[in-house]
Amino acid sequence: MGKQVLYIEMDNCIGCRSCLAACTQCGGHDNRNRNYVLDVDPFISRQTIPLMCFHCVNPACARSCPAQAIQIADNGAVLSALVEKCIGCQNCTIACPYGIPKFDEEQNLMYKCDLCYDRTKEGIPPMCASVCPTNTLQWIEEAELEEKRAQIPLANGKWTASHDPDVLEGETNVKISLPGILQGKQKLF
Amino acid sequence: MPKDKFFKVIENKIHPNEKLVSTHCCYCGMQCGMNLRVDTTTNKIIGVEPRYDFPVNLGKMCPKGVTAYQQVNHPDRIQRPLIRTDASLKGTAEGFREASWEEALDLIISKFKELQHNYGKDTLSVYSGVSMTNEKCYLTGKFARVALQTRYIDYNGRFCMSSAAAGLNRSLGIDRGSTIPWTDIHQTDCLFLAGSNAAECHPTSMFRIWEVQNRGGYLIVADPRETPLARRADIHLDLRPGTDLALANGIVHLLIKNGHIDEDFIRNHTNGFEETKEVVATFTPEYVSEITGVSVEKIVRAADIFGRAPDAIVMFCRGVEQQAKGTDNVSAYTNMSLVTGKIGRPKSGVATLTGQGNGQGGREHGQKADQLPGYRKLDNPEHVREIACAWGIPAEEMPQKGVSAYEMFQLMKDKTIRSLYLLCSNPVVSAPNLNHVRESLKSLDFMVCCDFYLSESAEYADVVLPVTTWAEDDGTTTNLEGRIIRHRQAQDWFEESKPDWWIQVEIAKRMGRGQFFAHLKSPQDIFNEIRQVSKGGIADYYGVTYEKIDQNNGVFWPCREEGDEGQPHLFLDKKFYHPDGKAKICALPYRPPAEEPDEEYPLRLTTGRVVFHYLSGNQTRRIPFLTDMYPDPLLEVHPKTATLYGIEHDELVTLKTRRGEAQYRVKVIEAIREDTVFVPYHWGKAESINLLTNPALDPYSKMPEFKACAAKIIKHKHGGVRHG
Repeated sequence: MGKQVLYIEMDNCIGCRSCLAACTQCGGHDNRNRNYVLDVDPFISRQTIPLMCFHCVNPACARSCPAQAIQIADNGAVLSALVEKCIGCQNCTIACPYGIPKFDEEQNLMYKCDLCYDRTKEGIPPMCASVCPTNTLQWIEEAELEEKRAQIPLANGKWTASHDPDVLEGETNVKISLPGILQGKQKLF
Repeated sequence: MPKDKFFKVIENKIHPNEKLVSTHCCYCGMQCGMNLRVDTTTNKIIGVEPRYDFPVNLGKMCPKGVTAYQQVNHPDRIQRPLIRTDASLKGTAEGFREASWEEALDLIISKFKELQHNYGKDTLSVYSGVSMTNEKCYLTGKFARVALQTRYIDYNGRFCMSSAAAGLNRSLGIDRGSTIPWTDIHQTDCLFLAGSNAAECHPTSMFRIWEVQNRGGYLIVADPRETPLARRADIHLDLRPGTDLALANGIVHLLIKNGHIDEDFIRNHTNGFEETKEVVATFTPEYVSEITGVSVEKIVRAADIFGRAPDAIVMFCRGVEQQAKGTDNVSAYTNMSLVTGKIGRPKSGVATLTGQGNGQGGREHGQKADQLPGYRKLDNPEHVREIACAWGIPAEEMPQKGVSAYEMFQLMKDKTIRSLYLLCSNPVVSAPNLNHVRESLKSLDFMVCCDFYLSESAEYADVVLPVTTWAEDDGTTTNLEGRIIRHRQAQDWFEESKPDWWIQVEIAKRMGRGQFFAHLKSPQDIFNEIRQVSKGGIADYYGVTYEKIDQNNGVFWPCREEGDEGQPHLFLDKKFYHPDGKAKICALPYRPPAEEPDEEYPLRLTTGRVVFHYLSGNQTRRIPFLTDMYPDPLLEVHPKTATLYGIEHDELVTLKTRRGEAQYRVKVIEAIREDTVFVPYHWGKAESINLLTNPALDPYSKMPEFKACAAKIIKHKHGGVRHG
């Protein structure tokens, strides 16, 4: 099995929040979700988009941590703060441009999505992608990602937002196709 | 996908004192596969894990499915029988005391016998539901007719699937909700969905539906609201609520006019084409546009795409069926498949999206007022003889056919019915015209309610019996495809609760009818009786066994012999189930909704679901995650309509119809027609939208018109905008 990545097809999202519910079921999450869903413009349409940790290649949360409490796993997953190292300064929650790390006042500890590392290291999809009923969140091999990219070539050659090194935190391990990806799709008939 | 791809890995990962039980979700007709995590030291369900081997959902779950296990050991569970001590408190949760099973059953038997002695056998009634297993649904029909010996039994499928059943029976001669397995859907070229908010009601269908577009196929959606499904459709036919029949006739008109019909198929395998051609001739795009409010351009384009599609599937749901002409709507949409010959082969056909968990199986086994197991009919003496013989009673002892669900409430009001045995349903929230229904229940002499929570309906009962949830008992359900699947017991019966089948067998025994039930000691005993009794019927389960279900991950009916693998696709031999083997193309003149907007009530009210709740909300309103996501019903209003009424987003207003009124917070959103407002129906008490809905019944299916009635918004004097 080749390397697997979390791939997000924004246009598929129906706002069911199944990913949130599933996140609470993951081991050790204490019924708290670590991903979010946003209403894009609730007065106009029902368009929603998931907001997940993108697991940046060079993450601002880890860069900003004075205690080196945020580890990066071998598959690129940016993990929750280590209990024994986190000093509760909340630098990471301020540094992340996506607002992903949250702070637990009681435990004085940051918590965030760890890409279900205990599952993904064994080839099991993360809980959010496992249950996502719309294929908005997919756990796919890099070869499949390449196939998807080849199917929908864009003029600027930048198919997924996360491949533009100038965007916010630069390259991310989670890949995204933005809404409207089907616009150029050739119809069957 | 290889069976149980991750099962072993997950099993190894979970705590040493845990096991996984493979079963299915308790909610909608998808019946998604899931694993329940069970603590083996306490034998309690503690969580959920995806189950990847069930082909319908491949591990995917909606938010209801993910949190479904939380209802099992919920603090609101009723632990032992309750007996009402204060009749003046009927309709509230007060005035009950706990009792033993012995005392509760004694009271029930003495009341039943007394009422039957004084007023005749038919004074008792049974009102059931289809969120329970085939075994329980079947036994409930037998329980009413053999143990209680009453004609009055009906079920909440009247509010859910009856129009689909009646329409499919009329068009195709058989009522199996889908002519194809769900695994065909993503392979078709054109999906036409009418009156279905699949994204919120059947979310785990969505990965297949989006895949049609990902492959370059078309998605056409007919819905008054721009639902999450309609948002991405190639064509959104934004019709006025209650005008589907005109739209379907208009599309059939264009299919004929443009030569997109299959003449050989029509000639060899259908009846009624010429009459239909004549009726739809007047349904020009301009005329249809006038009735439905959909632009001519969209109607023409939709018909063109459907006509040109090599394969196409027509799907419909409650938006089409919960109308006073729901049966006609179903047949009219089925006409689209029949005139084009796009049925009776893989990747083409018709399908209805079943709302309740066992909406399919529950309507096959004789819970309906006019039906006996295996889709046999009570007005057919031969069918009555067959079932009476199987049950071991003389044919003349079989009760006559009764009346439909809503009509039963009318009979309670006039004291024809004096007692109700209610199970697996919450009509005080889910029936139309609730003020009337609540009065009817109050006028009963004696009411028994079986539930695992004290539902709004249980609050009207004299005796409440605590029953087990779906995860505490074995049994089968039949999902929206017609696939019979296994639910497995994952933990022991909660406190003193008992399964419905156990209670019915016990009551039968105490009513002196035990000899007809004594052999039923487990769900599998009951299933084996279903197999025998359904043999030779349309819904033939004879060849289905628990073992075969396990081996094949479900078996599609009809399955007539033990060697038969079942039928995922219907009509592959182009034989329909009418006596001449032909399908019927139905000529259906248009009629408007039973109640049209007027000066006093200028808006159209339509109702439906949100993704976080199920039916009357009795189960889902108790799950913290789901209530956090959608705590109260909201009234959806178009911004222009809101401006017209001078109301703002989040303002509290009164919505009123000729049946009643209720107060709702306003949700302003452009994704709805200007002339239509929408409220979801999952809430009880003063928030129930069914206080307002119209009980006008479809003449064939007796389904009420939940989906269209005239309404008005009344602005409160001092506004009511919530601050902070």
